[in-house]
Order: sequence, then C-alpha cells, then structure tokens
Amino acid sequence: MALPVPSRKMTTIESAYLLEVVKGLVLTISHVIKNIFDPDHFRTIEYPDMKKPMAVRYRGAHRLLTRPDGKVKCVACMCCPTVCPAKCITIIAGEDPDDPAEKFPVEFDIDMLRCIYCGFCVEACPKDAIRMDTRIYEINAYTRQDMVHNKSYMVNLMEGKKPEAEDVYRANPSTAPAGYTFDEKPIP
Amino acid sequence: MPKVKINDTEIEVPNGTNMIEAARLAGIEIPHYCYHPHLSVAGNCRMCLVDIVGGRGPDIACNMQARDGLAIRTDTPAVKKMRASVQEFLLVNHPLDCPICDQSGECRLQDYYMEHGQYESRLNDAKVSKEKRQDIGELIVLDAERCVQCSRCVRFSDEVTGTGELRLMNRGNHTEIGLFPGERLGHHYQGNLADICPVGALTNKEFRFRRRVWYLRETASVCDGCATGCNIDVCHQEGEVFRYNPRRNDAVNKSWMCDPGRLSYQSVMSLKRLLRAHVDKKEVGVDAAVAEVVRRIRNASSVGVVLGTRATNEANWALLTLVRANLPGARIFWVEGNDSTGLPADKILIDGDKNPNSAGVRLLAAHDGKVGDKTALKDAIPELKLLLVLQDDVVHRLGGMSLPPVIYFGTYLNDTSERAAVTLPVAHTVEQDGSYTNRQGRVQRIRRAVNPAGDALPAYQVLEKVGAALGRAPGTAMPAAAFNTMARAVARLKGMDFKSLGEGGLPLAALPPESSNVQAAV
Ligand code: SF4
Ligand code: SF4
Ligand code: SF4
Ligand code: SF4
Ligand code: FES
Repeated sequence: MALPVPSRKMTTIESAYLLEVVKGLVLTISHVIKNIFDPDHFRTIEYPDMKKPMAVRYRGAHRLLTRPDGKVKCVACMCCPTVCPAKCITIIAGEDPDDPAEKFPVEFDIDMLRCIYCGFCVEACPKDAIRMDTRIYEINAYTRQDMVHNKSYMVNLMEGKKPEAEDVYRANPSTAPAGYTFDEKPIP
Repeated sequence: MPKVKINDTEIEVPNGTNMIEAARLAGIEIPHYCYHPHLSVAGNCRMCLVDIVGGRGPDIACNMQARDGLAIRTDTPAVKKMRASVQEFLLVNHPLDCPICDQSGECRLQDYYMEHGQYESRLNDAKVSKEKRQDIGELIVLDAERCVQCSRCVRFSDEVTGTGELRLMNRGNHTEIGLFPGERLGHHYQGNLADICPVGALTNKEFRFRRRVWYLRETASVCDGCATGCNIDVCHQEGEVFRYNPRRNDAVNKSWMCDPGRLSYQSVMSLKRLLRAHVDKKEVGVDAAVAEVVRRIRNASSVGVVLGTRATNEANWALLTLVRANLPGARIFWVEGNDSTGLPADKILIDGDKNPNSAGVRLLAAHDGKVGDKTALKDAIPELKLLLVLQDDVVHRLGGMSLPPVIYFGTYLNDTSERAAVTLPVAHTVEQDGSYTNRQGRVQRIRRAVNPAGDALPAYQVLEKVGAALGRAPGTAMPAAAFNTMARAVARLKGMDFKSLGEGGLPLAALPPESSNVQAAV
C-alpha cells in the first residue's frame, strides 16, 4: 500500500535554490574527502572472487529441511502456497502409507522467477520445513524451466554445507528468530 | 407461532422450532457440534449453552423448543466463558493435526477456536492417543483421535441409513468412535458421514489430500445421477471439479446425497467425454457439423426426433420448438430407460431412473400431445430416414436395434455416439446453466461451474444454431430466455421464471382440472 507523503511548503530560502545546491555539494565533497583518507571504507568488492558477507537473516534461496529419517519435514499442508503473494509455489500432495505423518509433497516446486523473496512461506510453515537461510543469492539458470527449483534441488541445496546462520545463532542464541530450531540433518 | 427473544431481537418462529434454528432465523449464530437439523437432538457437546433470561441457569439451545415469551441471551460473559471452556475440553486430547487434516478450512474446532476459544493451553499431561487412519468403509477414513464425540455419525447410521454400524465405545477420556469388530460401513451414503462430522475424524477417502478446501469455489447445482435431483454444491478450482457436496434442500434431499452421485463429478473429466464434433467419424468444427446436420435433415424424407431425459428442460424445449417450427412432418419420441446400470432404488434417495430430467420430458411430451414413447419409436423405425437424438443413449435403450442414420447431440461416448453419422458435443451438467425437473416434479436450476470441455456447448445453444440454419431459430441462445418462453407456454410451469427458481427450485403447478392423464403421471 502506498503511503501518502504530506507535502510541505518551501521556505523562501529553499525556493531560492542556491543555498540548497551548495548544501548538496558540501555533502558530496565531504564523502570524497572521507574516502581519500579512509580507503577501506569504499573499496570495491572483487566479485565473484570476493563476496560480501550477507546479513544473518538475509533471505536467500529456499531449502527444504529433512527429518532424521531423511524424509522431508514438509507435510504438504499448503500454508505456504496459500500465503505466497507471488503464487509461485506449486505442491502436489500425496499419501505415504508407511509414514505417521500421512501426507507428504510428491512434488514441491518454487518458480524463482516469480518469487519476490518476501519470506512469508518460511513464516507460514507450521513444520519449519522451509527456510531461506542459505544466503544463496546467485540464483540463475540458462532456461526458465531451470529457474523452477524442485523438491530434490531444495532438499540437497545445502548438502555438506552448513547454513552460516546456524553458527551465528548457536554462538549467540538471542539473535535467532523466535521459535528457531537447529537443523536436525547431520552434517558430514 | 411462538414469539421468542434472542438477545435484543424479537422473532416469531414456527411451532416446534428449537432455539438454534430460531436464532439462525434471527441472524444470530449459536455455535454447535452435535446438533444437526436432520438428525435427532443428542445434546452432548454443550457448545450451544445459552442463558435464559429469568431462568435458573444456562441450558442447551438445541434441545430448547421455542415457546411464547422465551428470552435467551447468547452474548453474556457467562455464555462466552462456557463456550471457551467447552472448546478447551474438546481440545484437551485433540491431536492438532491441522497441517495434515483434510477438514482444515471447514473445521468447527478451528472456526470456534478463533471465535470463542483463544485461550492459553493449560495442558501439561500427555494426550490420550487413539488409532489413526482407520479404513472403515469404501469411502471413509476414521481418525479416532480427532473425534469430538458429538455422535452425529452414530445418529446418521441409526436414523438415516438404519444400518447402525457406528458406536461410541469406552468412557471418559477414552471414549472413541468405532465399529463392531470385523465390520465395515455397508451403505451407499457414506460420504455424508464425512460431511456431518464437524471435525476431521471422518474424512472422504476419495477427496483425501487432493485439494485444500479453501481453494475451492462452490456453485449451487443439481446432481444428474438420478431422478431424485439432489441439490449439490459443485466445488471447483480453476476449471477443475474436485467434489460434489450435498446442499441443504428440505424438500428434496435434506442434507444428504448418495455415494455414486457424489462420485459422479468424475464424469466431468472422464475420458469418455465427447469433446469434438464428428461427421462420419471424422473430426470437424461445430459449425461444419451443424451445416452437415442441416443438409441431412433437408435431404431426409422422414425425420424422427428423440427428446433427452438427460438433457435440460431448455434443451428439450429447444428441440421441440425447433422441430415444430421447421420440420412439420417430423415425429417426436422419448425413450424411457437407463444408459448404464446403477444402484437399485431405495427408500432414502436413490431412484431407479438414472436420468435427471425424465419428468421434464414427460411434461413437455404432455404439453405437445404428439410425442410417442419407446414402443411408438420401435414401430416407427422402419419408416424413419434420419433420427435426431438428444443426449440419451438411445441405441443402448432400444437394445441395439438397427436404426436409420443418427445425429447425436451427446455428452459421452457411448453406443449411440458410436453409431452416429454426425455427433455434436454437448456440455456436462456442471458446464451449463439450465434446469431439470426431478421425480417429485420440482424444477431445479443447474449452474455453470466450469467452462465446457473441448468444443462442447449447452445443447440449447447447439440447437439454436441448427434452428437458425434451418430457417427458424427456437430462440434458445440464452437459457433464461428459453425457460421463460417455455414457462409461458406450458400450463404447469405458469408463473415460473428462470430467476424465481432460486437455489431450491419450485414445484410444478397443480394440474388444471381439464388436463390429460399423461400430465398426471409427472
Ligand atoms: S519468499 Fe515469498 S514469494 Fe517467494 S516463495 Fe516464499 S512466499 Fe512466495
Ligand atoms: S508451509 Fe511448510 S509444511 Fe506446509 S506445505 Fe509449505 S513447506 Fe510444507
Ligand atoms: S479436526 Fe480440525 S482442529 Fe482437528 S486437526 Fe483437523 S482441522 Fe485441525
Ligand atoms: S466421528 Fe465425527 S461425527 Fe462421529 S462422533 Fe466423532 S466428531 Fe462426531
Ligand atoms: S448442539 Fe446443543 S449440546 Fe450439542
């Protein structure tokens, strides 16, 4: 929803313009001087050899979590496709006769071209089955079809890697989001 | 008619109304689990407790008959507290399976928790667990943990089907719904158990996990499985039909429907649908097929026409007026019978006549006065050079007699479409607007829920095209216009209007004294 911004009448000095131009220049020049004396402050990051550290709660590519028995935690409750504002999650539910959870996603696709990385799906999940804590932001592919992340892709996304957020949260639990549980998947 | 007061609303209600229904009439909802308008009152859930003004204490509204001067309150702090407490009790041992529970989205526990519960859980002990996922019948899965012991299902099997398979067993925390050892549900109304169960204890095996209910849109329509014409809600999403649910109509099906009818939604997506027009088995466009139909009609020296007991009133009217306006020499018939075998008639809902609109055809036959029946058609076949068939599988109904070339306006692939020289695809019941007349002579609306599959069109629109090409169109491009013209012409539809049929339909007018015996049969 767009918020209306109240407009303010300009004072005479402001509408004279000249002083405002000088103010702008002062700001620019002060940055130039600051950067000359403190080069670390503005150094270009040499991507892709260097990467900028992302914030702990940065919302990257989605991953699906698994239970200790290796099955996905997701029970195909359909909360995330319901809440998703981009309508980019497609789940086909099925019944697992051997599993007390009864229901599981036969297919779980997220169309990353349509995803707006809002994180609502993570918030909505009652099973903590989907997270965006991978900090993966290089989400690209050669075809549109490959931009649709499927179940096995999202399950194996962090194979052998530990989401960095976990370390931060473990070291300082107060930074963890409310209700955060640590990944149960054993990391080799 | 007693006058009662609910909160601040005074309302006069029919004798024998209970206070839940009285409140409903006054626009006030009293939450309830065990009460069901079409079952006896059990009074065991206590969710409907209300305060009686000037009374000694709270009482249950479901078992309270309206009487003159009775005043109840549903909004006092005491009532609110009672509701929250009942809710808390019911949830003490509840598994909270919502993420995997099919009832989620239409569950009373969920709804009432949001409206009347909202308490902090005080439960420290382990919940009592019971057996989940029990396969108890053709169509029903029982999850004993989710049951709130309302006994609706027990009363349904005792009072409606009379089979009495379900029972509440054990006591207290361990009360559990179940069947006698080794028994399974044995009736054809199982789907209703899933409907009346206010929670997810009884769910429909066939619908299980297929779609979340909050995605589904509902369109009020009528089941076309038999002549009873149960009122239904067609539940669909994005052009796909997922289930039929019975819709309450006290004059027809109360709140129930049979299982074959419930599952007949599958016929919409059936592989046996007729999707394209064919001329001599070659696929053509609808307009080309219409042109071919017209050519053949013009060339035939004698034309026979069969009205459709599976077609809408509007379609039959279109065919009747089309023939009478354009083909003075043509002879009209209708053929009783079923296209396929179904369950035999019972005393609950199922009718032996598996066509939704036999009564409508009989009515139009009586109106026209010159419509022959099955025997007349059999006798006339040798003289006929072309037979126009509307939706019914006439070849099957006549037992595979040799017929003249057939033009078939049909929904499904069957014996008639197999034999037909020209076929034109007709929309399914859920794909068109129109009306059927059921066995009681009640004219009921069907409504378009999804778009017609393939090239299919409602039959009255196809016939409008044919009529226009023949010279005089029957004026049935729009179903409302078709119905209203028919209602003006047919005595027993007098005073009806497409709009006035509403959700519940209207009964045919009583016979005018001079009417024929044929009409009396309707
Ligand atoms: S992040 Fe937002 S847009 Fe993307 S899948 Fe989740 S809910 Fe949908
Ligand atoms: S909200 Fe969670 S459990 Fe539900 S479908 Fe999405 S990922 Fe699966
Ligand atoms: S019965 Fe209702 S409250 Fe219980 S698990 Fe199912 S949806 Fe949830
Ligand atoms: S199974 Fe459902 S209908 Fe039957 S008693 Fe339990 S809650 Fe009521
Ligand atoms: S509805 Fe009245 S006690 Fe259950």
